[in-house]
Amino acid sequence: MAKTVFVGMSGGVDSSVSALLLLEQGYNVIGVYMKNWSEDLPGMKCPWAEDLADAKRVAVKLGIDFEVWDFEKDYREKVVEYMLAEFRKGNTPNPDIMCNQEIKFKLFYEKAMAAGADYIATGHYARVMTRGADFVSAEQARANLEKLPEASTELVIPAQPRRSFKRFARRAANCEQNLPTESSSYLLRAVDENKDQTYFLYRISEEALAHTIFPIGEMLKPEVKKLAAEHHLHNAYKKESMGVCFVGEVGMRDFLKQYIDVEPGEIREIESDRILGYHEGAIFYTIGQRHGLYLDGEKGVVNDGMPYYVVKKDLAKNIIYVSKNLNHEAVWTKELRLKDVLIRGSQEDRPWDKQVLTRLRHRAPLIPARFDGEILHFESEVKRPASGQSAVLYDDKICLGGGIID
Amino acid sequence: MIYLDHAAATPVLPDVLQAMEPYFLHDFFNPSAAYLPAKKVAADYEAAKATIAHAVGAKASDLVITAGATEANNLAFTALDTKLWRADFVRRSQRAEALGTESIFLDAGLGFSSTSYAGTRAEPSLRDEPVRSGRNIRVENPNHFMHQKKQNSVPNASVLYLITEHDSVRRVAEAYSGEPIRVLSNGLIDLDDLRNRITDETELISVALVNNELGTIQPLADVAQIIREVKIDRMKRGVKRQLLLHSDASQALSLLDINVARLGVDLLTLNAAKVYGPKGVGALYVSHEANLHPLSLGGGQENGLRSGTENVPGVIGFAKAVELSKKHLAFNRKKYASWKKILLEELEDYELINRKHSLDNFIVLCYNGIDAERLIFLFEDKGVYLATGAACAASKGVRSHVLKAIGLSDTQINGSLRISLGETNTEEQLHEAAKIINEVVRSEKRRVNG
Repeated sequence: MAKTVFVGMSGGVDSSVSALLLLEQGYNVIGVYMKNWSEDLPGMKCPWAEDLADAKRVAVKLGIDFEVWDFEKDYREKVVEYMLAEFRKGNTPNPDIMCNQEIKFKLFYEKAMAAGADYIATGHYARVMTRGADFVSAEQARANLEKLPEASTELVIPAQPRRSFKRFARRAANCEQNLPTESSSYLLRAVDENKDQTYFLYRISEEALAHTIFPIGEMLKPEVKKLAAEHHLHNAYKKESMGVCFVGEVGMRDFLKQYIDVEPGEIREIESDRILGYHEGAIFYTIGQRHGLYLDGEKGVVNDGMPYYVVKKDLAKNIIYVSKNLNHEAVWTKELRLKDVLIRGSQEDRPWDKQVLTRLRHRAPLIPARFDGEILHFESEVKRPASGQSAVLYDDKICLGGGIID
Repeated sequence: MIYLDHAAATPVLPDVLQAMEPYFLHDFFNPSAAYLPAKKVAADYEAAKATIAHAVGAKASDLVITAGATEANNLAFTALDTKLWRADFVRRSQRAEALGTESIFLDAGLGFSSTSYAGTRAEPSLRDEPVRSGRNIRVENPNHFMHQKKQNSVPNASVLYLITEHDSVRRVAEAYSGEPIRVLSNGLIDLDDLRNRITDETELISVALVNNELGTIQPLADVAQIIREVKIDRMKRGVKRQLLLHSDASQALSLLDINVARLGVDLLTLNAAKVYGPKGVGALYVSHEANLHPLSLGGGQENGLRSGTENVPGVIGFAKAVELSKKHLAFNRKKYASWKKILLEELEDYELINRKHSLDNFIVLCYNGIDAERLIFLFEDKGVYLATGAACAASKGVRSHVLKAIGLSDTQINGSLRISLGETNTEEQLHEAAKIINEVVRSEKRRVNG
């Protein structure tokens, strides 16, 4: 009896090819469109209906069952409310991380399991490796990893696709046979380092992870597109869909304005305390931000060609402090305090006091650091990410977990 | 390609395109301009309007050209004294007068394209008023504002609309707190329900001549008769209130012989895009009974009811399209009737939803237990295009309110397909279409049943 997989289909090429691969691997596949958001925003049409049609069109083409699961209410409660609360506190939260934690790998996972799923799958660029409850050392796990295709640590796409689809399918099938049912699982960086999405996935539960397949985690984006085109999937070259309508800085600001009352306030230079201009509301700005500042201060002070950076926000007084000093201590740091730390795996996987790699933004380079359970210590200074963003920790290819920057 | 969705859109016929072309390239003048070539364009425009008007038994001056049927439907509802913007507008102009500026209203009867500029400078105390300092209010002079004083609608005017109306009527009617009139299971208006719902407050009743999903032809003359009786009764009792009949005839124009007097309508919506004319062109027939208010102000075109430079090529094309469909009306009806027969004979295992009272080119089928949207995608793969009443992405997940209204179950609605025949089809295509539809439905049934 074939195992049943519910695959989240967004209408994009990645999840479409995921469904295709699962089908070719002999699974009983059911496509699900998760309806998380459908509201249009000022100047932005939410493409959910088009995305849904794209997803369904592919499902029909593959001849698989297709369902629409409505998570709009949950998305609003779990993701949007959290996001607004964080912004109100002056933080810059990451809704995609929250969406994966609360919706895709929780509600979707639970609903799929209740509906008889053996696994769920999504079109994320990431890999899962599961090991048995019987102990496998980190070294062994790493040795096992060697058998998997290399994840390059550099952000380059190799000119040639790495392997044929058939070979991949065979390997994936082999992996599946070895999966014990009760197990702890590792989240691994995708083969395509350019596309690796583990940054968004580090908070998903271990239980969900153990029952998750990322069918395209071992493929490169161009391979995915090619495979889609070879199978005449109409969305092979569709512009990447983001799932949520309000991604992007401008979109976010328009979105926030609808929910959060803000007052315009002053922009001051931190060194001199001079007023250089005015802002729309302090919560819209993040530390290190350079664009979108309305500065009109004294001639020659502002307009000498050197950009100003946001270095401090005083939410109580609604004042934004800026500086031309790129080396300002607010922008650079050797330490980052993390909260809501979530580390996966067994005790020796814990990164306490050992060298780990950290990623501070999606697709940002991996930076060596030491983590003591609370504070990340970097060897040299890093540009401080906005509070509310995540720092994700890796041991080689394994995503250990991470925390939210305080 | 086999296109079976002519109720959604029709191609522009070559003759229509040809008629339009000179008005894009050479005779592009603004009909309001003073020189002779422009006057010639104005005359052609009027002649085209006359052609369209005559096709429904009306005069050119009774037509207001709009940008499609949706706008025409919206405009029709302004016959109810609109509370939306007009009150504010009047208050604003009164305020401007009070400030000692030039009167905004010119005398009635100046007519075409007369404009007045009331340069208003608001006092600080008026800042919460819509009058903004340093900005001119530009007002055209529709005669209708003057009429308004005389024929004031009493508040609480109520609206009735057929429950199966297109959204461009339904949504507007809802905005006016309209009440829906039921339909019978055959899709026809429930005349008893209509009678029961008409009160002394009812001012407007909107019933489409042909339903856009089922092709059902409504007995408008019967509706008009009821309205006539109500009017007489109101006169006897001294109840002074207008009672107008509006009908959206968008789907009807190509296959029905329409006459506004015979139908007894006061307002009739027409649409070029459904009769092999250009998209974005429509018209509203307005009887002398109805006093409308413009939705947009400006140069005062279309008797002040629809300002904006005339869409000359669009109207020329509309007229040509109307002329052609009138000419071939009888032939086309026979043709579609015979094609419908072919399909109904050759298709398998379906339930016919619109058995009776339907336009000859509409066939609504139901494949119970099948998700029709999946069929749409499978047909699409084979180059056959048609529509569904299912809760599909195209309808933002909302099931057809029309199919619901005639009493279909959700599974029936989910399995429903609408075929609308038209000029792009040939007899061979219909044999082919029947074959493809049968094959696809069979394979989908196999998939569902395992």
